[in-house]
Amino acid sequence: MLAIDNLHVAVGGAEILKGLSLEVPAGEVHAVMGPNGSGKSTLSYAIAGRDDYEATTGEVTLGGESLLDLDPDERAALGLFLSFQHPMEIPGVQTMNFIRTAINAQRKARGEDEISAADFIREVREKGKLVGLDDAKLKRPFNVGFSGGEKKRMEMLQLAMFKPRFAIMDETDSGLDIDALKMVGEVVNSLRDETRGFLVITHYQRLLDYIKPDAVHVLAGGRIVKSGGPELAKTLEESGYEQFIEAA
Amino acid sequence: MTELLKNPSAFEAALENAFTARSNANETAEAAFDRFAAQRLPNRRIEGWKWSDFNAALRASAPDGAGTAKAIAPSPFAALNPIEIQIVNGRINAPMDDQPKGLRFGVMEAMGTIPELEIHPIVSLNVAMTAKSFGLEVKEGVALDRPILIRHIDEGGGLSFGQTMLRIGVGAAATVIETYEGAGAALASHVCHMVVRDRGRFNRLVLSDTGAGAVNHAIVAAKLEAGSVYEQTSLSTGAKLSRHETLLHFWGEDGEARVDSAALLTGEAHADFTTHVLHKKPGCAVRQLHKGVAADRGRAVFQGKFEVERAAQKTDAQMTANALLLSDRAEANHKPELEIYADDVECAHGSTCGALDDAALFYLRQRGLSERQARALLIEAFAGEVVDGIEEEKLRAVFAARVAAWLEDQS
Repeated sequence: MLAIDNLHVAVGGAEILKGLSLEVPAGEVHAVMGPNGSGKSTLSYAIAGRDDYEATTGEVTLGGESLLDLDPDERAALGLFLSFQHPMEIPGVQTMNFIRTAINAQRKARGEDEISAADFIREVREKGKLVGLDDAKLKRPFNVGFSGGEKKRMEMLQLAMFKPRFAIMDETDSGLDIDALKMVGEVVNSLRDETRGFLVITHYQRLLDYIKPDAVHVLAGGRIVKSGGPELAKTLEESGYEQFIEAA
Repeated sequence: MTELLKNPSAFEAALENAFTARSNANETAEAAFDRFAAQRLPNRRIEGWKWSDFNAALRASAPDGAGTAKAIAPSPFAALNPIEIQIVNGRINAPMDDQPKGLRFGVMEAMGTIPELEIHPIVSLNVAMTAKSFGLEVKEGVALDRPILIRHIDEGGGLSFGQTMLRIGVGAAATVIETYEGAGAALASHVCHMVVRDRGRFNRLVLSDTGAGAVNHAIVAAKLEAGSVYEQTSLSTGAKLSRHETLLHFWGEDGEARVDSAALLTGEAHADFTTHVLHKKPGCAVRQLHKGVAADRGRAVFQGKFEVERAAQKTDAQMTANALLLSDRAEANHKPELEIYADDVECAHGSTCGALDDAALFYLRQRGLSERQARALLIEAFAGEVVDGIEEEKLRAVFAARVAAWLEDQS
C-alpha cells in the first residue's frame, strides 16, 4: 500500500534521510521507532509533502500512485493523513467549519458529493464524544488555548472524520495520559480493516500496547536499520537504541 | 484674491481656481483658504503625512470638471432597511420625508471653522470649499431602531467636498454606516464633526471601497461626553491614496471607545488609518485593533496615538496593530504612540508584521485544502478578528461578505 524505496531527503541542504526503504501492505499497522534526531518527523513531512523537505532521490507510492510530485492537498485527496506531532493553533478559524471545508475539498478532488451539513454535525458530535472533545471545544477557533493533550484529541477527531486510506501518526502518544492513549487505540482500531494502513511513529513501546503493530522498524541515522515483529518494540524498550545508533 | 499660493502645483492651482470660482464664499471660507494656503497639500516632509503624501499623489493630475454621477446601484446595506442619505460628488440627497420620531436631519450651512482642526491642511481646504453640510440629531433618550446609511459616492474625477454634523443626544443611541464608493474623485474630502452626549451610544461602520485611481480623505472628530460609548469598525480596500482619520476626545468621565480597522490591499492600493484619542477626564477606556493585509504593492499605513492628560487618571487604553504582507513588495507602516501625563493609568500597544505562517499553510493543505483555499482561510481569519467585533449580525455579514469577495478576487 505505502511503499518507500531508497528515499533520500534533504532539509536546508542537510541530508536527513539517507536511503530509507519501507513497505506497509494494506491492512497492516507498522511502527517506526527511533531515537531523537533519527529523522522520524522528516519522514512524516516528506511523505505528506511539506515544502523544504526535498526528496533528492527515491520514490514514495500510495496504492501504486507516486506521491513525490504531488501537492500536499493532492496527497490528502488520495487518502493520506498525517497526525501532527505538534498540531497548529489557528486563531480565527472555526473548528467545525474548517473540518467540514477540508472534508469537502477532499471529496471534491475525488469527484464525490459534499457531506451535508446535517450529516456532518451529527458525525462530528459523535466522533467528538469518542475522542473527548465537547461541543464547546468544537465551536472554538481551531486548537486555540487547547492543552497539548486536547490538540492530540483534535488530531484523532480528524482521523475519525476523514477516515483516510493511510494514516501516519507522528508521536501521537507524546504528552498523553493512559486514558488518552486508550482513546487513540480505539480510534485507530475502529478504522483498521484490510483496505487501510497505518504508520505509527513513536519513541516508546507503550502506545503499541493499544495499537498492536504487524511490524516494527528501527529508524536510525536516516535509514531503517532493523525490522521485525511486535517483539522488537519490547526489546528496544529494554535495551534502548544505543546498539542501532552505532550500527547506523 | 490673487496669488494666494506660491509656486502652486498644477493641482493646487486648480484648487485655487475652484475656490476663486465659488460664488458664495464668505469671510470664514476665505479665512479657511488662507489657512490652507499657508499649510498647502500635505507632503511626506510633514511627520504625520510621511507615508501618505497627498501632494505627490495629486501633483501630476488635475481635477476634470465637476464630476458626473452614474446611476446609483443599491447598497449592500439595503437589507438592513436603513435611512439612506447619498452625498454624490459632495451634493447631498436626503429623504426629507423619512424622519422617524426622535430623529431630525437636513441640509444646512457648512461649518465656518472647526477650532481643533484649524491646523489640519485638508480640513482647512474642506472648510474653504464646502457650501452645504448634512446635519443630523438623535434626540435625548431615543434609540434608533434603523441604521443611518450615509453613502459618499464620487464619480467623474472632479473635486468633491462634503461635511456632516452629528449630534447623539443624552442617553440616545444610533448606528451610522458610511460607505465611500464609486470610481472616485480626483480629490474627495469629507469632514464629520460630532458629539455624543452623556451616556449616548454611537456605533459607526465605515466601508471604504472606491476605485483604484481615487484619492480620498475622510476625518471624523468626535467629542465624547460622560459615560458615552463610541464604537467604530472600518474596512478599506484602499485607493490610489486613501486616508481615514479618527479623532476622539473624551470630554467626560467613564467614556468607552472601540476603534477597529482592517485594510485589504492589492495592486498599488494605499490605505491609511490615522487615529488620535485624547483623554481629558478620568476613567475612560479605549480598545483599538488594526489589521492590515497587503498583497502586490499594497501599502497599509497605521498611525495610532493615545494622549492621556494629567487629569485623566485610571485611563485604560490598549492598542494593537498587526500587518500581514503577502508579497515581497507589499508594505506596512505602523506608528503606535503613547503620550501619557497621568501616573495611574494602564496603557499598552503592540505591533506586529509578518507573512502567512508556512506551518499553518502546510497543516491546512495536509487536510486537503488547496493552496488558494488555505491562504484565503488564513487571511480571512486574520482580518476576521476586526469583522467579528461587529455585534449586529446582519451588519457583520455585509462586512464578512466584502472580505470574502476580496479574497475571491485574489487568484
